[in-house]
Amino acid sequence: MFEPKVKIDRALYQTLTKASQIAGYSSVDEFIVHVLEKAAAEVEQAQSEDEVRKRLQGLGYIE
Amino acid sequence: MITVVSGLPRSGTSMMMQILQAGGLPLLCDQERPADENNPRGYFEYQKVRRLAADNSWLAEAEGHAIKVVSQLLYHLPRQFEYCIVFMRRDLTEVIRSQEQMLASRQVESGLEQQAMREHFTRHLDALEIWMSKQPNMRVFPCDFSRMIADPARLAPAISAFLGILLDPERMASAIDPTLYRQKAK
Repeated sequence: MFEPKVKIDRALYQTLTKASQIAGYSSVDEFIVHVLEKAAAEVEQAQSEDEVRKRLQGLGYIE
Repeated sequence: MITVVSGLPRSGTSMMMQILQAGGLPLLCDQERPADENNPRGYFEYQKVRRLAADNSWLAEAEGHAIKVVSQLLYHLPRQFEYCIVFMRRDLTEVIRSQEQMLASRQVESGLEQQAMREHFTRHLDALEIWMSKQPNMRVFPCDFSRMIADPARLAPAISAFLGILLDPERMASAIDPTLYRQKAK
């Protein structure tokens, strides 16, 4: 199974470890994956809303 | 209470406006966008809706009426009113094909491939559905376009009951013209 690794700054890793403990995650990995999933979903959502807006403008439904 | 007919463009919102009007519900619309080959019976739009994101100060005009508000603009409805939303759902393949035809007639590039547009619409509709379910001033009646055409006698009374308004179900059903169902996925 392909398991990519991402390099991050040591100080950031320590910050994330601390944050994951405060937030009650079982591991820093779980915390990071969750945060990244959420961030990616937000970006995708924003892109989709933008494409929908452009389509609605093209069809004359919004200004 | 304001009745809102919503959904993606080409999902049957104009048809639903005709159905409600036939049933006896007054519409808030104007003739700014005339009927054309895409909507031979008219669009039933109110031009102020197009600028809803910038100006919603006029919405009190819609009290006691039905008004058409395209899906993405629902987020801009002011909170001080109660809304009963008839939300049209239609097979996305049909919606996208019909939109592309309309874009071509307006001489506008459709831009994205159908599959990409489908993914964007799916994400948009999913998020909107969750958002609407959390709004205390909104009630939603999801209405499937093809079912409305196939079985109006059953759905018309259900819509009337949802709105809490005595509408004429026979007249509502008779407002449907199945020959205008031109983009079929199957």
